[in-house]
Amino acid sequence: MAAQPHGLIATFENVSDLMHAAEKVRDAGYKFWDCITPFPVHGLDRAMGVKRSHVPRFSLAGGITGFCTGMSMIWFMNAFDYPLVVGGKPYFSPMFAFPVSYELTILFTAFATIGGMFIMNRLPMHYHPVLKYDKIHRGLDDLFFIVIESRDPRFNSAGTKSLLEKIGGKEITELEA
Amino acid sequence: MSSHAASAPAVLTADSHATAANKALLVGVAGIVVTLIGLFFSSGHVIAFSWLVGVSYWTALAIGMLLMVMIHHIFDASWSVVVRRQWEHGISAFIPLAVLFAPLVVLAWLPSTRDIVWPWMNPAHELHGHGTVGSDVLYIKKSGFLNRNMFTGMTLAFFAVWIWLSARLRKASFTQDTDGDIRWTRMNRVTSALGIPLTALALTFAAIYWIKSLEYHWFSTMYGVWFFANCIRGALCSTVLIMVWLYRRGDYNGVLNTNHFHSIGQLMLAFTIFWAYVTFSQYFLIWNANVPEETFWYNIREINADGSPNQWKYVGIIIILFGHFVVPFLYLLSYRNKIVQPRIRFIACWVLCVIFFDLCYNILPALKDDLGNAEPLFGINLLWTISAVVGVGGICVWSYLRSLPKEKLIPIRDPRIEESLTHHEQHAH
Repeated sequence: MAAQPHGLIATFENVSDLMHAAEKVRDAGYKFWDCITPFPVHGLDRAMGVKRSHVPRFSLAGGITGFCTGMSMIWFMNAFDYPLVVGGKPYFSPMFAFPVSYELTILFTAFATIGGMFIMNRLPMHYHPVLKYDKIHRGLDDLFFIVIESRDPRFNSAGTKSLLEKIGGKEITELEA
Repeated sequence: MSSHAASAPAVLTADSHATAANKALLVGVAGIVVTLIGLFFSSGHVIAFSWLVGVSYWTALAIGMLLMVMIHHIFDASWSVVVRRQWEHGISAFIPLAVLFAPLVVLAWLPSTRDIVWPWMNPAHELHGHGTVGSDVLYIKKSGFLNRNMFTGMTLAFFAVWIWLSARLRKASFTQDTDGDIRWTRMNRVTSALGIPLTALALTFAAIYWIKSLEYHWFSTMYGVWFFANCIRGALCSTVLIMVWLYRRGDYNGVLNTNHFHSIGQLMLAFTIFWAYVTFSQYFLIWNANVPEETFWYNIREINADGSPNQWKYVGIIIILFGHFVVPFLYLLSYRNKIVQPRIRFIACWVLCVIFFDLCYNILPALKDDLGNAEPLFGINLLWTISAVVGVGGICVWSYLRSLPKEKLIPIRDPRIEESLTHHEQHAH
């Protein structure tokens, strides 16, 4: 017996076929599946039931870290490690620490957002099983695909195949793991 | 939420619009009457200052809407086409606003009340503790700019610019509804290219003449930008209220989707940060330089002559710092707070209230008691300030509601109307 396949792939001719098919796969309760399109399709995330990204949480954490870093850095340098009177101002005041803190807020937010995005989308990814599929290059051109992975708890070769057929998928192919 | 979206659109007749407009007019007149009744309880100074708060509040909102229309055209924006029409109705308020501002100019020309608001209008005005305005070197140096003729001429020019631009933008947009000619879009783009710098100059000088010159010793290069930030924030917030109102009433059903609210919420967040940046910069530079000609402005908003803290200190920290920045900033970071209508409506109301307090913070402490201390905010005088804002507001809303039913709800023949209607294709919450 061959090893468990990566999953099943089906082709679709146009956006509206793909959109309706995606809604049905979503409603059938699949979790590990994806759509491959030559261009971004507005509303597809909704049709697929994809929730909003968690990247903003990384951003928020980065921002708070940056703000606290700025404040504590200025306090440490000017009021604790080497107390110095500048311009008759107090050793520490949030007033003059603020420009630094907010610059660091922006910087750390940007780093956390970029980093969080790469963590969440798992890029760079050097290999993916769908790349072995001989028609996948048409996913950059004129064809749309739905891939349902075998690790999905609802996956079974016959049942998933008949679902893909029912929702209008053509050329249903098993992908090597 | 979807249950509201499903509710049937109300059938609106010309009569119901007229009734709403008349109600607004009634509220406006009532507000003005209450403000005038204030003359029996507070001094003429107080009432005139309250009136200045009322007129500048609504003028700021109208300027913000005018700028939004022009920014929309200059960027050839698509998402905002469906809400642009509401701004075009809103900027019809400049004509009544000019009329409502007129009493302040007239008072400056009457012999007995010439310094009722702006002390420098009267060279014989006595300064607290040191001579008169006419003998004040800081006034003499600025007198080429700060004098009654300049003030009157410039104020007329501000309103002329705003009214002219509004009339052009409105006419072109409304005419396009009937003939669908693309040249109206081009004409509006040209008007905007010219109108943005003109409006920016006019609102900067308006902020300097009307508000900053109340304490003419003071310097701040950030002042016009501060006023601009409030104009845009006010316009965005009132737009949200209009959008939610028209959506709930059924007009905008099927027109607005989640992304329109998201887009306007993002702008609200951006301008919250912009306002904070400008306001903090102004404070920080003055705090850092520590020059008496500048610091006194913040001192009277913090302490009395004897050094004890006054009410304005807490207004500054709680209402201005937290209410105008921290709360809306943190609130608007959330996606859901921007797209769920009751939530974005809440923060829009919040910010509109705080803009009122921000204007109070900038205008009212120029009112001094016998010791030279700023008159407190919370007291009977606040009542007249609120009634003035309600009074002017009623007239402005009346102007909007009169314009609203005369034209199509959205610019149906704008070249980008379809893109706007399908802005990222999602449904409203």
